[in-house]
Amino acid sequence: MPEKLLKQALEAIQAASTITALKEVEVKYLGRSGQITELLKTLKDLSPEEKRSKGQEIQKLKNGFTEAYTTRERYLQKAEIDAKLQAEFFDITLNQINPQRSLESGTIHPLSRLQREVEQIFAEMGFEIADGKEVESEYYNFEALNIPSHHPARDMQDTFFLDHPTDTKHGHLLLRTHTSPGQIRMMEKHGAPLRIIIPGRVFRYEATDATHDSTFNQVEGLFIDQGIGLAHLKGIMNEFLQRFFGDKEIKVRFRPGYFPFVEPGIEMDMLWKKGNQSKWLEVMGAGMVHPNVLKAGGLDPEKYQGWAFGFGLTRMAMLKYGIDDIRLIHSNDLRFLNQF
Amino acid sequence: MKISVNWLKNYVNIDSQTDWKAFEELLTIRTAEVEEIIDLAGSFDQMVIGKIESISAHPDADKLRVTKTNVGSETLQIVCGASNIFEGQTVAVALSGSQVRWHGEGDLVELKPTKIRGVESNGMICAASEIGLKDEVDGILDLSHLNLKPGTPLAEALNKNDIIIDIENKTLTHRPDLWGHYGIAREIAAITDEKLKAPAFHTKYDQKLPIVIPVTVENPEACPRYLTLTIEGIEVGPSPDWLRTALENTGNRSINNIVDATNFVMLELGNPLHAFDTNKIAGGKIIVRQAKKAEKIETLDNESKELDPGMLIIADAEKPLAIAGIKGGLHSGISHETTSITLEAANFNPISTRKTSTKLGIRTEAVQRFEKDLDPLLAEQALDRLVKIILDLCPNARIVSRKQDINNFTYKPRKVKLDLSRTSQKIGVEITPKLAKELLEKLEFEVTLPKTKSSTTIEVAIPSFRATKDINHQDDLVEEIARLYGYEKIPATLPEVAIRPARPNTERREKHLIRDVFSLELGFKECVNYSFYSLKTLQKAGLNEADHLKIRNYLSEEQTHLRTSLIPNLLHSAHENLKHFDSFNLYEIGRSYRNIQQYFPLEEKHLAGLVLLPKKDRQEPFYLAKSALNLLLRRLQITSLQYQRASNPDQNPLAHPNKSAVWINPRTKQPLIELFSLHPAIAANFDLDKYQVACFNLHYTELHALPRAELRYRSIPRFPAIEFDISAIVDAEKEVAEFEKSIRKADQNLIHNVELFDFYQGSNIPEGKKSLAYRITLQAPDRTLTDADMKQIQEKILTNLQALGAEIRG
Repeated sequence: MPEKLLKQALEAIQAASTITALKEVEVKYLGRSGQITELLKTLKDLSPEEKRSKGQEIQKLKNGFTEAYTTRERYLQKAEIDAKLQAEFFDITLNQINPQRSLESGTIHPLSRLQREVEQIFAEMGFEIADGKEVESEYYNFEALNIPSHHPARDMQDTFFLDHPTDTKHGHLLLRTHTSPGQIRMMEKHGAPLRIIIPGRVFRYEATDATHDSTFNQVEGLFIDQGIGLAHLKGIMNEFLQRFFGDKEIKVRFRPGYFPFVEPGIEMDMLWKKGNQSKWLEVMGAGMVHPNVLKAGGLDPEKYQGWAFGFGLTRMAMLKYGIDDIRLIHSNDLRFLNQF
Repeated sequence: MKISVNWLKNYVNIDSQTDWKAFEELLTIRTAEVEEIIDLAGSFDQMVIGKIESISAHPDADKLRVTKTNVGSETLQIVCGASNIFEGQTVAVALSGSQVRWHGEGDLVELKPTKIRGVESNGMICAASEIGLKDEVDGILDLSHLNLKPGTPLAEALNKNDIIIDIENKTLTHRPDLWGHYGIAREIAAITDEKLKAPAFHTKYDQKLPIVIPVTVENPEACPRYLTLTIEGIEVGPSPDWLRTALENTGNRSINNIVDATNFVMLELGNPLHAFDTNKIAGGKIIVRQAKKAEKIETLDNESKELDPGMLIIADAEKPLAIAGIKGGLHSGISHETTSITLEAANFNPISTRKTSTKLGIRTEAVQRFEKDLDPLLAEQALDRLVKIILDLCPNARIVSRKQDINNFTYKPRKVKLDLSRTSQKIGVEITPKLAKELLEKLEFEVTLPKTKSSTTIEVAIPSFRATKDINHQDDLVEEIARLYGYEKIPATLPEVAIRPARPNTERREKHLIRDVFSLELGFKECVNYSFYSLKTLQKAGLNEADHLKIRNYLSEEQTHLRTSLIPNLLHSAHENLKHFDSFNLYEIGRSYRNIQQYFPLEEKHLAGLVLLPKKDRQEPFYLAKSALNLLLRRLQITSLQYQRASNPDQNPLAHPNKSAVWINPRTKQPLIELFSLHPAIAANFDLDKYQVACFNLHYTELHALPRAELRYRSIPRFPAIEFDISAIVDAEKEVAEFEKSIRKADQNLIHNVELFDFYQGSNIPEGKKSLAYRITLQAPDRTLTDADMKQIQEKILTNLQALGAEIRG
């Protein structure tokens, strides 16, 4: 009985083509002597057990009605607004007559400014500027980079996973935790030799505070050729940082670091001077591309070798401009943006 | 990981005059990142042992008393408020100049001679918390049991004359051998050219003794090695000073001599160990097996954990005793009644240990080590070392079982061939066989030099403690050589490679050009928003959730879905800025991610933006945004797009159904740019209803692929132009484009420019009409135009306009 009533009611709701008509349907079912209301009235004559089961049934019916009613109401309201809006004439072919030119100028976001500088410097040194996917697969983000599942290194890169079917080769779909998957994609696409940088947005499952954010930008670099070694990494990085910071005195320091996709693995520090103080500042991870990674990219590790590096562009922006809270980067607060 | 220098000195010579700053740097650039070097004695500077000689009442305060305290060199008058002082008591005295924490709270303050309620007080008799120790009793710290001379420096009295090296654990991820003091000592010996001295091990075992607790290992792949030994006559009690100090100075708690001994050996050699109370092992046997469904264990810290089938446990005949390699159980732990112990020294599979630990949410020192893949040979050395220490600690103890060794691994010494010419290339420095041998042998690698002079390949035998995960391949040895040689000695050189022009990235170059146009030329502000938004936001924007990819483990309700459009977040940015600004133009270049029911989503690049003005502003943001887009297309030399009214605006839920236009890509016949006024309902959803907002979205990936028009110079007219104005009243509901077209039709050759310079609608103009005023410029390339030319064209224009129902006003 209630199912049949609900079916009728839903049909009536769908048939109502104006708000007025819809209101009438409501009265018919939920009004003082509406059909659902009447049904509710019959409850008082029932035994407590019957009351409970019957009551639930009627409540379900009422909920179903209300839900359909609200949806339809919203639809009709929007349609009514739209009909009104449609009736106004608007000339899309017109242009603004005598636009007031704003004296305030526009601004380029600090990340974009720095990315352009980084791209220019590397382009001057013969590097290609490449691009990667932001939604990546477990294969490219981890396996191909010599980080098998259950490897402790996966802890270092807390990952956002997507609610999405998995794939036999690719595993889970995720937000890339670093720009390094681009290494594999570029090796697959272009083979060797290879001299590229891949700037881009990366994501970490990391609570936000003044120094951490779920989103930041990195620049990946890759130099594969014959006879390439760590001395060249030092040479290129000295050159890059000196140009980037406009300071000929800048020096880099290598120390052992662990990243499964490089061997030897290196942490690179930069001698940072502020006033008469100077200290070593961790700026990037780097190293000689691991033979397993070269193989995953389809290259012969006996023939080709080279290095890779990765640094945080967001961090560089904070260093270079003295930004003390990473949350400003994505705040889009004009009081922040207007300074660039 | 905290490493004590006093502890290290057992295995390697470290000069007490060491420059710790330089030492920190050396260890950092050779081995692993040192986070900090802490001088434990530093915080006890100007603190000594004192003896209270007399106590008298304070003349002016009931709760205070005045002491004469002997601090060695002199006797000081010190006022003290604690009730637990007595004459003859040995106490910790902070002298003037020391740093203390009043009542154990707040910042450190420097102590100075002072008067307390009129009585002079020179120093302070300290409570534990006031000098950074744990309070065990109320009141001041009573050190009478230590039996020390007044004046003894407190650091010495408390065994705090130690330097602690705090190493960043992350940099040890690949080094199972460095998870103990001995491993670190080995590195230090190698990098400072000192000798390494091994600790003492128990060596004499009577293998004729019976097995007391027989062990069965059911899952050999998860437990490659399991050794046990049973010792009786154990007296459980507090640890001696040296053991307690070693543990406490490295941040560990002292529990009792037996547990401390197992922890000490773990922190020394890196292999976790466990001691069971033999009498609590039900059925007198140990089974290393997988947990059964719903099996439970109460861990040492009184937490009950339900185990999953497949998790490796150590069980007796009845129940789980410990979670293998992770944590011991409460029941079989060492207590003060324990007299017989069974020691476990094992090796567990790193992956299964790690999986179980993650699943149970238990991270322990043991997990940290087993997950790094420990050397199975180390388990036996750790047992031998533990036995040596326990027998020293408990002189009445005796071994009552044979050493039981269940091993399911085969150890084969690994040899790796290392090509030194390749090594030299990779490092960028010439590495001779002699140099390689010298460097590698410092770390206990054994090197066989090439037989012939011409060969550059050496053979390296890998010590077992480096052979589990760390060193597999010759490149792993390149790292050892490079770091021991010294990364700082590698020269910085630029590669000599063939010039290969880089493939151009025109897309990236053009994106920067767009920024120049929008930011520098048009005064827009560039935004960078997150790639996510909330379910609520996408609903507020009228978007369809099914098109979205959802983050499974999102961090905040604000970041649950990947954006399919850049506009909702820009609307949010606009709203946030209304607190300080009432008109602005924003844009963003970024990606959208659309779930297209394939593995990878459709990741597309967009340029989106908005123009926001207060309602009272007479300008129309739609037209401003339109001009901006037209200028952009001109700068990008794109002329092929067709601008038109959006034919089905209801496909764009954000758009006002009427104030909506598109630029159509002639190739796909699809809109490539959408320009629209924000739908009033959506504007209300984003609290922007007091403003007028126009938005646009440009499909950048597609735009970039469009052909570009060539820039061609047109010669500057040599003959003068003629200008005249026409003003007309026309139907309000006719598009101005129609009038411009009809004007231009009057003479395709001579009409050079048509500019609408005035537009008016309102009082003085009849209802349903609008007033337009055009300035028309005539120009001929080859002659000076005459009045007759102008008259003729003017006439034609008027006729054309009248044909459209215009009433000419002048």
